[in-house]
Amino acid sequence: MTRDELKDAISNKFKDRVTHLEAGKYDPLFEVKADDLVDICQQLKDDPELSFDYLANLGGVDTTEHFEVVYNLASVHKKLRVDLKVILPYDQAEIDSVIEIWPAANWYEREMWELYGINVRNHPNLSRFLLPDDWDQGFPMRKDWDAPDFIRMPER
Amino acid sequence: MGIIRKLPAMAERMPGGGFVLTSIEAILHQGQAKSLWYLLFGTACCAIELMCTGASRYDFDRLGMIFRPTPRQADLIIAAGTITKKMAPRLRRLYDQMAEPRYVIAMGGCTIKGGPFYYDCYAVEKGIDHIVPVDVYIPGCPPRPESLLEGCIHLQEKIKKQKLSDWADGR
Repeated sequence: MTRDELKDAISNKFKDRVTHLEAGKYDPLFEVKADDLVDICQQLKDDPELSFDYLANLGGVDTTEHFEVVYNLASVHKKLRVDLKVILPYDQAEIDSVIEIWPAANWYEREMWELYGINVRNHPNLSRFLLPDDWDQGFPMRKDWDAPDFIRMPER
Repeated sequence: MGIIRKLPAMAERMPGGGFVLTSIEAILHQGQAKSLWYLLFGTACCAIELMCTGASRYDFDRLGMIFRPTPRQADLIIAAGTITKKMAPRLRRLYDQMAEPRYVIAMGGCTIKGGPFYYDCYAVEKGIDHIVPVDVYIPGCPPRPESLLEGCIHLQEKIKKQKLSDWADGR
């Protein structure tokens, strides 16, 4: 299955529940609504034609307008890759966990929660992960984050 | 280092103790400088250069430097690599576990001032001199083995110049 075929397959399968975003030479990229996420992920995994059985990466993005949560999925047997993106407004930074589908999401979600402050519902162990145990300075990967010894790169 | 404990008795027995004490000081510090056992503390790419310096091409052993896996046996800690804020308390703890006299070499830009992680980084300690007292700074990213060897020779010269009376200050 080529990239274009994969793009059409996913678009036809989910109709207007997904929005295709232009990603140029990269893997097909779809925007998904936060409420739909778990259901769509489950179907992507269960579909025998797609069988996205591998969560390659999961990360947060702060665009200074809203948060994004990006899921990089891969299918080992079908040799496919696709990216999903969920857009979250700042005041509702909350998303459902996908641990039930891919257990690998556990640490990724903990890391995202710790560094971006995006709350993850139904996560079994949302606790301090990479930062020091006594960390009390907020969420360092947010663009507006600041701390006493944090030095920003000067503008050139 | 049993000689240190016997030192007061020996100095007392010698006529003209001052002269003898100076000689012993010189011998003692010569021995100390030529047997710097260092604690392996490589946290990033500087550790690769440290390993290279320890191996046969550059040969740390000819300076009397042998790596030790435990702080209890080490005189020197070579902080080779980025020290994150999470790592900083561990470095302090290892330093505290070393027996005096103890020395610290800050190897590479990260340990001096955060190096490439100075700007826009929340996780890296900006200089290990916030955590432990540093004797010798070796700049470079990472420093070549020659730089590390020169830093160690500087430390040896520093040790040879010190006075026994300095030890009273806990150094």
